[in-house]
Amino acid sequence: MELQAVLMAAGGGSRMMDLTYNTPKPLLPVGNKPLIWYPLNLLERVGFEEVIVITTKEVQKMISTDPKVKLDVKMKLDLVCIQEDADMGTADALRHIQQKVKTDVLVVSCDLITDAALHEVVDLFRAHNATLSMLMSKAHEFTETVPGQKGKKKTGEQRDFVGVDGTGKRLLFMANEADLDEGVVIRKSIMRKHPRMHIKTGLVDAHLYCLKKSVVDFLADNKSISSIRGELVPYLVRKQFSKSTNSPKVIDETHQNLKKNDKIQISSRDEELLHLTQERSCWNDHRGDMSDAYHGGRLRCYVHIMDEGICYRVNTLAAYIEANRLAPKLFDEPAVHPSAVVSERCLIGADSIIGASCQISDKTSIKRSTIGVSTTVREKVKVTNSIIMHGVTIEEGCNIQGSVICSNAVIGRGADIKYCLVGSAQRIEPDGENPKLQARSLYFPYTQSPQPSIHPHPPPLPPTPPNSYKLKAQHSKRAQFKDSP
Amino acid sequence: MLQIYTSGATSGSFRGGKQKKGNVTSEQEEEEQPLQAVLVADSFNRRFFPISKDQPRALLPLGNVAMIDYTLEFLTSTGVQETFVFCCWMSNKIKDHLLKSKWCRPTSPNVVHIITSDLYRSLGDVLRDVDAKNLVRNDFILVYGDVVSNIDVSQALQEHRHRRKVDKNISVMTMVFKESSPGHKTRCEEDDVIVAMDSKSKRVLHYQKTQGLKKLQFPMNIFQHGSDEFEIRHDLLDCHISICSPQVAELFTDNFDYQTRNDFVRGILVNEEILGNQIHLYVTQDGYGARVSNLQMYDSVSLDMVRRWVYPLTPEANFTDQQGQGCTHSRHNVYRGAEVSLGHGSQMEENVLIGRDTSIGANCHISNSVIGNNCTIGDNVVLDRAHMWNNVHVSSNVEIHQSVVCDGAVVKEAVRLNKQCVLAYNVVIGPNLSLPEGTVVSMHHPEEEEEDDDDEFLSDDQEVGHSKDKTRQKAFNPAEVGPEGKGYIWKASMNDTEDEELAQCLWGLVLNPDPESDSESEASEESQDRTFQLEVLGTLQRGLEENIVCDNLVLEINSLKYAYNITLKEVMQILTRVVLEYPFQQQGTQLTTLQYTGSLLPLLKTWSPVFKNYIKRAQDHLDCLSAVEELFLEQDTHQTAMVKVLMKMYQLEILEEEAILKWFSTGATNDKSRQLRKNQGVMRRMSLWRKESEEDESSEEGECGR
Repeated sequence: MELQAVLMAAGGGSRMMDLTYNTPKPLLPVGNKPLIWYPLNLLERVGFEEVIVITTKEVQKMISTDPKVKLDVKMKLDLVCIQEDADMGTADALRHIQQKVKTDVLVVSCDLITDAALHEVVDLFRAHNATLSMLMSKAHEFTETVPGQKGKKKTGEQRDFVGVDGTGKRLLFMANEADLDEGVVIRKSIMRKHPRMHIKTGLVDAHLYCLKKSVVDFLADNKSISSIRGELVPYLVRKQFSKSTNSPKVIDETHQNLKKNDKIQISSRDEELLHLTQERSCWNDHRGDMSDAYHGGRLRCYVHIMDEGICYRVNTLAAYIEANRLAPKLFDEPAVHPSAVVSERCLIGADSIIGASCQISDKTSIKRSTIGVSTTVREKVKVTNSIIMHGVTIEEGCNIQGSVICSNAVIGRGADIKYCLVGSAQRIEPDGENPKLQARSLYFPYTQSPQPSIHPHPPPLPPTPPNSYKLKAQHSKRAQFKDSP
Repeated sequence: MLQIYTSGATSGSFRGGKQKKGNVTSEQEEEEQPLQAVLVADSFNRRFFPISKDQPRALLPLGNVAMIDYTLEFLTSTGVQETFVFCCWMSNKIKDHLLKSKWCRPTSPNVVHIITSDLYRSLGDVLRDVDAKNLVRNDFILVYGDVVSNIDVSQALQEHRHRRKVDKNISVMTMVFKESSPGHKTRCEEDDVIVAMDSKSKRVLHYQKTQGLKKLQFPMNIFQHGSDEFEIRHDLLDCHISICSPQVAELFTDNFDYQTRNDFVRGILVNEEILGNQIHLYVTQDGYGARVSNLQMYDSVSLDMVRRWVYPLTPEANFTDQQGQGCTHSRHNVYRGAEVSLGHGSQMEENVLIGRDTSIGANCHISNSVIGNNCTIGDNVVLDRAHMWNNVHVSSNVEIHQSVVCDGAVVKEAVRLNKQCVLAYNVVIGPNLSLPEGTVVSMHHPEEEEEDDDDEFLSDDQEVGHSKDKTRQKAFNPAEVGPEGKGYIWKASMNDTEDEELAQCLWGLVLNPDPESDSESEASEESQDRTFQLEVLGTLQRGLEENIVCDNLVLEINSLKYAYNITLKEVMQILTRVVLEYPFQQQGTQLTTLQYTGSLLPLLKTWSPVFKNYIKRAQDHLDCLSAVEELFLEQDTHQTAMVKVLMKMYQLEILEEEAILKWFSTGATNDKSRQLRKNQGVMRRMSLWRKESEEDESSEEGECGR
């Protein structure tokens, strides 16, 4: 076994609380499959037979009990639960499973949806005997309108600066704009070794890393590092050029007092053989001077940057909507589930997905939308560009456009919903005349007034226990659990 | 065709004429306008002194051809039809040279105008004059008279014109670079640059010389231009060829403080938002381009030339079209001019160029060398990377390594020139002498050089002749140049602080890859300690002078402690150190031990309250003692004073007896301190004196009794 796969699925989805309020992030439906299916499928496609899944108790319970959350993977899943309230970072999680790590690891985040050729990343890792290799992709512009968001998304977000060498593979520099008050500072010695550095800013980190086992061991000794992306990766990138990790003498020293020192020790099973090969071979990774391959550096970080293809991290509402739009392209399954009851006199676009045991009635039109499991859509309903999760009931004559309807919601007769997010188990009732929901709003069961009120902005999560509506929602959820076998 | 102008106050008529011409050319003719170039045949620095005292740099031979000819050939081959040559230093010589050259024949495709003025002090002055005289009408190539290149800049020119067409007059300059890895020998260490550019538009965002820098800093604002891909390049060799739009000359006029192209580039980049001008770059992969900016570069370029990197500008091509310059090219890049005679058993190993009428004796070994015309070389001579110009006489059994021997120099029997020697014009060396590395010998006396420092630019052959007379009176030193030698040794570094160029040696900087260190933060910490130490010293000094009460001194040191964020332990160590070094500080390090203790002991008494304030706990005593020990380990001539110091400190109740005993009994950490303790058997004596000690050894007592 060359690589062990580790799937990080314990994140709370803090940047899309509206969606993860009732459903944990790994189980959010994307194209009628739970989000976690995508990275699992990615791993299965390249031949992994076993995956360590780090997740929460809640997710574990739901995976094992909920029929709607069907993972549909043949791999052996080794579920490791961590406490939800422990506030563990990804590096903490990796440290948590250190005992299980026997070899180099491939760490994937559960919110990654990609069609990347995984071997590219692994090949970099193998070819250069790298300490770290990771996947990045050109950032995509989200074109869809996002509920609850006025106008265009501000681009004021801090950019990541990623420096790669002339070949575009070796990772030389990594920093966030926020940390660069004094501008980009690069040591001259790095520039001498890698005279041509490309600094790229429009990249997203796919949060897919190949790491040497020694890095995991290093993590075990350094409790202060809690996040892979935030701390470990920048640390490794920086350490590539520090003298202490490169001269063999110091390595020996650190070998002796590894426990005391926070120096990372880079060696693997065949280190000596590899070193011999490197010495005897005339291959070199650079041109222009006579120094050794890799300039004698022992620690090497590489990155594969995807130029095209799908690569999304589903960590915001916008990304979630975009992922739903693109997900059908990733698997070839019939768009309409065989168990769905679809009336012949309705219009379903080729780019839509209808989940299992749905009921779609006459004169309904569904375009560019995803309809979840056990959803009932009545007559004369028009659904465009929307995501309807599981167990939703849509009454007659509704018009739903560009919206996200969460699980078990009930949309009353003749509702007109545009660019809205309707919370889980929410009921949009006909109130005399046809309800018309204002565009780009969010509707939640925990809102204060009994009537669905309108929020110009996403409402802040209530710090106090919500009112009866919320209780109602919880009841319904619990009931749902009880009902399930 | 040649036109000669002399610059001065009377440029009015000149301008009128040109403007008239400018009006005639209409828009549609713009494309057909001849390509112009500005060639600056002066370096405005003195890197080639004292060689350039007799010959301007542009006329120094490289591969037996004057450097300016390479530049003109390069310009002509890229399609330049009109070249303005600006001369200042020894303009007459350059003028004469050009008048005789092929550029002044009527058939020359490149019209050369020579403009001379004694008032040019920098590139900025030249370009301001270009603007004043309105010489350029369109994009022009700016180049120095010592650039050797075969780059085809037409591609760069096209890109430059295209950019200027797309956004009107935004891009003012396109710099030409050649790709070469750092540390390449043709890369001039002094000229090393780092460039941040926009990958797509090739726009220069940041341009910085890297010499002496450890960290390269790029301000954030350069990354805010909307592009998401930038490139930081350190693999560029600056060819000193730039394509400029006419605005460049105007900008030099507007900003009278711009002296060099470097000033200009930096100014444009800094003021980009205000002026809206941009600079682009063009990177060539396969051309050759380098500026001979110091002798190191001269050596590199000369050998590149012989190794045919500058093809088609090769020695046998005789592109200057001079009679008798032709030579033959044979294997291993050996070139021979006409009438060359080679003695029996002599070997020309590789990369050798020998000029016409040169005769070489028997059993010589010549490699990587250029030998000029009319030279005579004796038997058993070894030449490696020697650059000999014309009419040089080398006697037998001479060895020359990586050196420059100028016209008319004579090297007598059994002389050895080690690396990086320079024999300027008409110098005689030897016999039986070995010149150490980096020796510069000239017929001009170094001091005379400094005398006419002020009017160095008022170049006048008369003046040089005049000063020659003066130097004749000074005698040559036979120890330096040999019994029959003629010439004066020039010291590489002069204590001339205002002219940094002079301080650098003729050969340029030594190519040493800067040591990489990961401990920059430590270094800064170290320096902080150092400044704290100086501050403490200042405080104590002032306290002594102004009779300040010790309490106030303590207060002041405490505030310094907070200002520099120094721990209490360090404060005490530094304080101890400062006090103990105080006599050295005041009276120099040559003090005898007796003098030292004599001046120190009263000081200790004065400052004992300060010490007492800091030394309270047992650990403090030990720290203080270790500081004392450390100091005396460094000042090993004064080790005997240590016991007196300790005794005094004990008497003043600064240190406690137990602490001293404890310090003494705890093992020494290394050999040296063990030695120290051994010498301080005194300690034992002291302890005996104070208290009965169990120590039984007493052999050293006598030695320490002093």
